[in-house]
Amino acid sequence: MLEVLRPGLQTTVQDAGRRARALGVPGGGAADPLALRLANALVGNSPGAAALEVTLAGPTLRFGAGTLVALCGAPFTAALDGQPFPVGRTVAVEAGQTLALGGTARGARAVLALRGGLSGQEAFGSRGTDLRSGFGGHGGRALRAGDRLAWLPLPPATPPRAFLSPDLHTPTGPHVTLRVLATPEATPGLLDALTGQTFRVSGQADRMGVRLTEAVPAPHDPARVSLPNVPGAVQLPPDGRPILLLPDAGTHGGYPTPLVVAAADLPVLGQLRPGDRVSLREVTRAEAHAALRQQEHEVRQAETALAWWYAGQREAPHKSRPPR
Amino acid sequence: MREADITPLGDAALVVRSPLARELLADLAARPLPGVREVVPALDVLTVLYDPLSMAGESLAAGLGARLARLHPEQDGTGRTHVLPVTFGGPDLGWCAGQAGLSEPEFVAALCAVRLTVAFLGFTPGFAFLTGLPERLRMPRLSAPRERVPAGSVALGGPWAGVYPSETPGGWRLVGRTDAVLFDLARPQPVLWRAGDRVRFAVADA
Repeated sequence: MLEVLRPGLQTTVQDAGRRARALGVPGGGAADPLALRLANALVGNSPGAAALEVTLAGPTLRFGAGTLVALCGAPFTAALDGQPFPVGRTVAVEAGQTLALGGTARGARAVLALRGGLSGQEAFGSRGTDLRSGFGGHGGRALRAGDRLAWLPLPPATPPRAFLSPDLHTPTGPHVTLRVLATPEATPGLLDALTGQTFRVSGQADRMGVRLTEAVPAPHDPARVSLPNVPGAVQLPPDGRPILLLPDAGTHGGYPTPLVVAAADLPVLGQLRPGDRVSLREVTRAEAHAALRQQEHEVRQAETALAWWYAGQREAPHKSRPPR
Repeated sequence: MREADITPLGDAALVVRSPLARELLADLAARPLPGVREVVPALDVLTVLYDPLSMAGESLAAGLGARLARLHPEQDGTGRTHVLPVTFGGPDLGWCAGQAGLSEPEFVAALCAVRLTVAFLGFTPGFAFLTGLPERLRMPRLSAPRERVPAGSVALGGPWAGVYPSETPGGWRLVGRTDAVLFDLARPQPVLWRAGDRVRFAVADA
């Protein structure tokens, strides 16, 4: 049992998201999906197990039982019973201990995974919280003080001593470049305007989307019919201030979408915070694909090494003792 | 038949534009293509989200084109039909009837006579864009959306009819309400309808 002493700014249960867009249901899931995979790998979970996503200011949590935990994503400060708690490493916590997550100087989100994965309401094949529709995760809402969360049982294990390579952490601001692909709606002039300047992230930045502050001349097309949205779509509403879509964005949108963020940079998009500066750089499909392959190769290496560590303990249980 | 219009959208999705989009959606549900994560319908459009690590966009486009070439327009009656009992009398009913040049009872009868089709779902979980309204029953959207439209409201907006599954903002004209539950997570199939289903409105028993 995990007891929420302080909820933080916006802490939600998230996993790898759902695939029910054809029913009008947003994808959801962790805004930084790499942080989710790595945190899960560190505690011996499957890649898409449900974990806590914390935003800008983290929660304070008391553990009712011992388990393994790992925090990945933006470099949040954290303390376990007052002792410094590292990012990107597996930590054994004991019953009664309190984990206090602070803030982060860069980026917006981190994922705290617990061995076994969090339980919670499943909707359309995912335990992720859809805040807008109010389902999934813990009551379809962000955590509040006094909430109690359970996690699913897995055999106890000894934590691996490894640190994640810093290269695996999602890059965070204050200035990031997102690789983008042009769509058929990108005219040459629009493409120049979007890729030729640096934007700033406005205060309108949540799990649905990130609004940029500077405007570009927006095409006016009131007759454009609604089309399905994709992750990372860059929408251009009539006022010309781009909106970059995050996992909770609606399934369909009526605004022109001249650019889409490359799949490899979706985790970076999920780390944008108000005030960050963003540049958009056009890449070819081949370049985007190469970047994704490279990223996947590195993440799978880490996942494989950690899976090997946990599998080895199943074969030789006498070598490990349950952490208590 | 002209060649299928299939264009990339980013590096993990393709957009298929075809009058046979709904038939392709059903075909892909029955016989999934490898590497495809999700198929999302809109009007005469499918967006196909795929895993670029396991499938090249070009070969997926070729596979989708080949599927399309073998499809035929759907025969009538293959989808399910939903009859929704509606209590007519929303705040915009009188206005809509006037716009159509009909009395309120005539307008209600005309609307109930229309056989609508679920073109696609979106906007909010369970919301269906219903197509098939004759020109006379098409109503312009409100110039400014209402902040709150009650769940179950039956509405007309542009070429579409729809029913709001939950309380949301909305800019369509409200002509009635239904008790039909469109979205319920406790059901094995939480969403009532699918793209391609037929829909009729009926006057609810008083």
